[in-house]
Amino acid sequence: MKLIYRVVLRLSLFLLPLLALWAMLFYFTMEDEINDEADDALDNYSELIIMRMLSGNDLPQTGDGSNNSYLIIPVQEAYANARSHVRYYDAEVYIPEKHETEPARILSTIFRDDDGQYYELRVATPTFEKNDLMTTVLGWSVFLYVILLITVVSLTAWVFHRSMRPLYALLNWLDSYKPGTVVGAVPCDTDITEFRRLSAAAQAAVDRSEEMFERQKQFIGNASHELQTPLAVLGARMDWLLDNTELSEEQMGEILQMKDTLGRIVRLNKTLLLLTKIDNNQFPESSDVDIAAMLREQKEVYDEMFAARDICCCMKLPETFTVRMNDALASVLVTNLLRNAYRHSAHGARVDVTISGRMLTVVNDGDAPLDGAHIFERFYQGSKREGSTGLGLALVKAVSDYYGLRVRYDFVDGRHMFSVEWVQSVVG
Amino acid sequence: MKLLIVEDEPSLREIMARTLRGEGYVVEQASDYTSAVDKLAGYSYDCILLDIMLPGGDGLQLLKELKENDRRESVIIISAKDSLEDKVAGLELGADDYLAKPFHLMELSARIRSVARRSMVGGRKGFTLGNVYLDPESSRVEIDGCDVALLKKEFAILAYFMQRPGHLVDKTVLAEAVWGDHVDQADNFHFLYAQVKNLRRKLEDAGANIELKAVYGFGYKLVFPEDN
Repeated sequence: MKLIYRVVLRLSLFLLPLLALWAMLFYFTMEDEINDEADDALDNYSELIIMRMLSGNDLPQTGDGSNNSYLIIPVQEAYANARSHVRYYDAEVYIPEKHETEPARILSTIFRDDDGQYYELRVATPTFEKNDLMTTVLGWSVFLYVILLITVVSLTAWVFHRSMRPLYALLNWLDSYKPGTVVGAVPCDTDITEFRRLSAAAQAAVDRSEEMFERQKQFIGNASHELQTPLAVLGARMDWLLDNTELSEEQMGEILQMKDTLGRIVRLNKTLLLLTKIDNNQFPESSDVDIAAMLREQKEVYDEMFAARDICCCMKLPETFTVRMNDALASVLVTNLLRNAYRHSAHGARVDVTISGRMLTVVNDGDAPLDGAHIFERFYQGSKREGSTGLGLALVKAVSDYYGLRVRYDFVDGRHMFSVEWVQSVVG
Repeated sequence: MKLLIVEDEPSLREIMARTLRGEGYVVEQASDYTSAVDKLAGYSYDCILLDIMLPGGDGLQLLKELKENDRRESVIIISAKDSLEDKVAGLELGADDYLAKPFHLMELSARIRSVARRSMVGGRKGFTLGNVYLDPESSRVEIDGCDVALLKKEFAILAYFMQRPGHLVDKTVLAEAVWGDHVDQADNFHFLYAQVKNLRRKLEDAGANIELKAVYGFGYKLVFPEDN
């Protein structure tokens, strides 16, 4: 979930009930105020009537357009004593001008004239005006509530987005960053302290990892180089033993096995050196390389080497397929793919090598899909095979990355399929 | 023939010297740049085995000075750096060969022999052993003066042995030399046996007095009449 959505959601979550509460409070206060106002008017009206009646003046006419009405009823003393002398209440009242009953606010006052006669005065004012008013107030409250909510939320989102721009710039930069590639400095185009600190921290981390990466590369290269001389010594001494001493068959066998093992170390070391060199871009010179010719040539070698397995290698190649690459690296790529297919094929299996368009595919039979996510990693070996360095496919990947080729593994119809696509290179 | 080994690793220097002495060379040694310069100032050699990463200086610099002074020594560079650029740089400076570490001792003696052969003026450029003559340049093999037709791989195998007579050659090493580095991935050596078998038969049919002898099934050794 994006941070901005989270902020908006949380803000809405709090604002929604809060603003609703505010609107309700406003509405009820308003209603209270209006009732108060109506009661005051009734008070004044009833006072006026009582005063006029007691002073013997004419009583006011009803039907003067104010929709107010009054009623004076003489009551018994007992009745008067039984109730409070001033009461406000809501009731349905018949309004003669309109010939219908309407909800109204009523004030009932009990008073006594000079003769000791008790009267009850009921003055009423219809409440439909008040209801109209309250409906309007409610409508506006809801409207303003929604508008306010939308405004607050969208304003927050906008301000947030503006303020967070340096953060998104930094995130984009981090996404595009790959160790060992030059992508420029961490963006730091802001005067916000926190973002400046974040940028500085990111820059420091990147510098550190860059340095580690460089050092690691150098270390592998140096270690491999330094190993060459001791390996030469070891090999030379074994050679000397074999050539210059009388050895029994058993002793000779042991030494030859040591030599085999040593050979494997030497190969491993050479492959690591090669990988380091590819990583360090030490293959600048490119030439036009005919991949098809290279494949045909390699096929002959492997057919001979693996003759005992009766592997049927079926090639569908164009006459030529020329790409611009370093000759040695092209050979590494082709050799490793082809050798891999031969080596992991059972007796009598079939290997298909095809070039169609700009894509080279090498397909061989297999039982189960390999772990496509890790198969190109160094020293990843699904099933350990004697004599293999575990670096073959890592080399394929390294060469492909070097030239921006698209390399992938698929398991199709019970067969392993490795494909390399020359996406951008120039046809010679 | 007099050799100078310039190599800083004592153990490697010692085993190289021992082996080459065993092959009848006169061997001198230098462990760093200065002592190499000293030796070269005082003596002359037929061939120098030069490690280019030396304490006290760059081996390539030494090579440059040698060539500037028109010294006639052949130079074989021995280097831990196995890259094309280094090779090209070394050969452009006038080195006669370039051998990457780690190497086989037999490979070393074969390279010395071939460098010596190249610097030889006149005479046949090929290898002669018993009644067999092999010319790498024209890919020809003669036995008792008659041409023998060999296939490409058979010729490569014979050439390899002719440069290392009397040495035991491990079948893995042979396979790598003839078929290429990736041969280690093969699960057996039938392809090698088949070629060697054909080669032996052709040699025998042509009446060669050299023989490829199998040694315990580990490898082969080229034996030739001692008196030749």
